[in-house]
Amino acid sequence: MPTRSMFFRILWKLLGASGGRLTVALIALTSGAAVCSALLNVNLDAERKLTQEFRTLGANVIVAPPAGGDASLADASVLDRIAALHAPQIAATAPYLYVAANSGSQPVILAGTWFDQVAKMNSWWKIQGDWISTRDDHEHCLVGQTAARQLGLVPGSAVQLRSGGHTVSLTASGIVTTGGAEDSQVLTSLDSAQSLAGLSGRISLVQLSVSGTPAQIESVTRQLGESLPGVEVRPVRQIAAAEGTILGRIQGLIFWTIALILVLSTLGVLASMAALAMERRRDVGLMKALGGSVPRIMRLFLAEAGTLGVLGGVLGFFVGVVLARWIGERVFGVAMSARFEVLPITIALTLAAAVAGAFPLRLLGRVRPAEILRGE
Amino acid sequence: MTPLVQVDHLEKRFGEVRALDRVTFEVDAGEWIAIMGPSGSGKTTLINILGGLDHPSAGRVVVDGLEIGSLGERELSRYRAEKIGFVFQQFHLVPYLTALENVMLAQYFHSITDEKEAEESLRRVGLADRMDHVPAQLSGGEQQRVAIARALINNPKLILADEPTGNLDEVNEAAVLNLLRDLNEVGHTILVVTHSQAIGSLADRRIELEHGRLARISTASLAKD
Repeated sequence: MPTRSMFFRILWKLLGASGGRLTVALIALTSGAAVCSALLNVNLDAERKLTQEFRTLGANVIVAPPAGGDASLADASVLDRIAALHAPQIAATAPYLYVAANSGSQPVILAGTWFDQVAKMNSWWKIQGDWISTRDDHEHCLVGQTAARQLGLVPGSAVQLRSGGHTVSLTASGIVTTGGAEDSQVLTSLDSAQSLAGLSGRISLVQLSVSGTPAQIESVTRQLGESLPGVEVRPVRQIAAAEGTILGRIQGLIFWTIALILVLSTLGVLASMAALAMERRRDVGLMKALGGSVPRIMRLFLAEAGTLGVLGGVLGFFVGVVLARWIGERVFGVAMSARFEVLPITIALTLAAAVAGAFPLRLLGRVRPAEILRGE
Repeated sequence: MTPLVQVDHLEKRFGEVRALDRVTFEVDAGEWIAIMGPSGSGKTTLINILGGLDHPSAGRVVVDGLEIGSLGERELSRYRAEKIGFVFQQFHLVPYLTALENVMLAQYFHSITDEKEAEESLRRVGLADRMDHVPAQLSGGEQQRVAIARALINNPKLILADEPTGNLDEVNEAAVLNLLRDLNEVGHTILVVTHSQAIGSLADRRIELEHGRLARISTASLAKD
């Protein structure tokens, strides 16, 4: 029989011989691996899910004529060039044209935009009445709550706006509360605003919602800047920074939790292995007396710990997937999918914890066979 | 002919205690030597040094041309694996390995394992039907016979037996002694530590220790046959 087979034969018997203590160590490792696997799964999915959710919290990139430049308006063809990029990270594109108008004697800012896109990036806006669902609705408008109070408008009210020599008649579909500048504006379709201002094919700016990590957003911004000469592309730094901070903190929390769990698992293994080392002193003394070298004997015990580590890692990974699904449902409202790239990481971490926890077994290398064999 | 074992002014101290004090003797290949003496006389210490389990404090011990005191840990492991076969009073079998695996364990640490050879070794000591039993399923005599099979498996130059029948009843003692005598007759060199005058009388020579000193070396009074 090849010596390698004997190695595995002894290893198998070692695993069976101390079933109770090894089961305790395996439970410690599996528990640790399960939490690590769950957190790593959550970490990978949370980044995706959080960046998706961030995209409902407003624009994070603005495309506008350069500040201080001659032109205060951009050509609407910029929208076609943005679409032509087919950048999957661009979750929504909302052009705006701001027009100074009057409703009766009251001045008001009319903002023309694409409501279908505005809805995607401003999910927190509160609406009293009805939202405008398409960008082609030229008969309705949303009125900011401050403007509605000043103009005495309620959902269903008719509003006539005048700018220069043009007039547009709209019906207030809803009163919107945004907490921002839109509260003082009347929002309608881009086409209506362009008609009223006589600025067909012109826009003031484009708000973009770009998904991804701060680095990915920066990359898309750079790509946009290169593709759109004559306009300025700038990220909304506060939002990007806040998103980056939140992601960083979540990842930091997960990293330190994993580190703590691994330390606790290692301590659990350490306790079991310390007891096991006492039981194994006689066997090691005998193996040395039979001519076993310290590295050869230690290989057996490290392989035993390694087997526990791999087994704990694999079991823990699957338990962790179930745990991640549960966390996903509770925290994000959706089930997290199993990420198999987490499996080798979980196994490697658990293996490291098992081998570190097997430190007491390494002390067996110091056993003096003469003392053991005479019963000391 | 160069002696297989040369012990020259061997000393072993444990702190202030001299366990062995300037012990000198030689053993030729093929001899059966009984090491005798009262408890605490240094018998086990002597056999541990000869087996490379302990280091001498002074003096020289040469076995098959190797000076034991000059060997490092790695060389001592090789020495034990290749030149020595141990038989202990407490048997010292690995409790979770079968009789066959206990014998193969010695092969494993020596070089490569050969299951057929290990089976043959167990057959030789009359345990053909006990190969797959773990020590707890074997009687004391059977366990000692497994230990003898293990000691023989690598064809050692020297078999060191420390009170090999100390834990056995008369029937099993006779069986084990017959085995040792058979081994000696086919040329194995055997050093047996014993309190028993009967066992001592079976040896070619008796080395008697008292308080760590060599008291006398005598030839056995009874013929082995």
